[in-house]
Amino acid sequence: MGQDMHDRVCVGAIAGAFGVKGEVRLKSFCAEPSAIADYGPLCTEDGAQSFNLEITRAVKGGFAVQLSGVTGKEEADALRGRRLFADRSALPDLPTDEYYHADLIGLTVLDTGGAELGQVRTVLNHGATDLLEIAVPGMSDTVLLPFTLQAVPTVDIAAGRIVADPPDGLWPDDGDAG
Amino acid sequence: MSRSVWKGPFVDSYVLKKAEKTRDSGRNEVIKIWSRRSTILPQFVGLTFGVYNGRKHIPVNVTEDMIGQKFGEYSPTRTYYGHAADKKAKRK
Repeated sequence: MGQDMHDRVCVGAIAGAFGVKGEVRLKSFCAEPSAIADYGPLCTEDGAQSFNLEITRAVKGGFAVQLSGVTGKEEADALRGRRLFADRSALPDLPTDEYYHADLIGLTVLDTGGAELGQVRTVLNHGATDLLEIAVPGMSDTVLLPFTLQAVPTVDIAAGRIVADPPDGLWPDDGDAG
Repeated sequence: MSRSVWKGPFVDSYVLKKAEKTRDSGRNEVIKIWSRRSTILPQFVGLTFGVYNGRKHIPVNVTEDMIGQKFGEYSPTRTYYGHAADKKAKRK
């Protein structure tokens, strides 16, 4: 993933045409689906096309959306499958200790001694605390690290790293805890 | 039908023993358990359990609002990766 992809965030995808007047069916990946319209012009993955969008109504599996510059069903059909990206800067600022998943993914995980433990692959939430899924070099399986102040004392997005102090028994080579 | 109150909450005895042992030792460690059916009790608050989902142990930090639920509810057996988009994570 290049640097350019870190500046943009995938917020939705076009599922096809909706009707015959140039509307498209849009799937939103946002936490609040209708927020996709708040992030300004959205561009395609290659950056060749950019659209302003107006949500006209909610439909099954997403929204019916009017994209700027798309006037007919053929044009709308041609966009099927395109993913839409928003500028990272268009996302609102967050309070302290709150982070966008997109910012955390890809960060290098170091232990308190400075040794590299792995890289954040994704962020999960199963109802308890958020979990960082860490890809560990040389291991086929991943490790889940609770995203708590105790287990992750430092998050430095500018430097691209987080410092982890994982509890005993979390890493596979720690052995069985109890 | 819900469980009779007179029986009290169900917890596998080994979970209680492991939790007590970890709390007494004061160590910061993941308590690996396989008992997804055990109820989360007030004395588990603040501990981290690794709840087995059939493949691996999912870390679960127990908080007060989880009391009365079962451990298995926090350790899904199927994985779904959505898109990151504008989703947020809060460090607690």
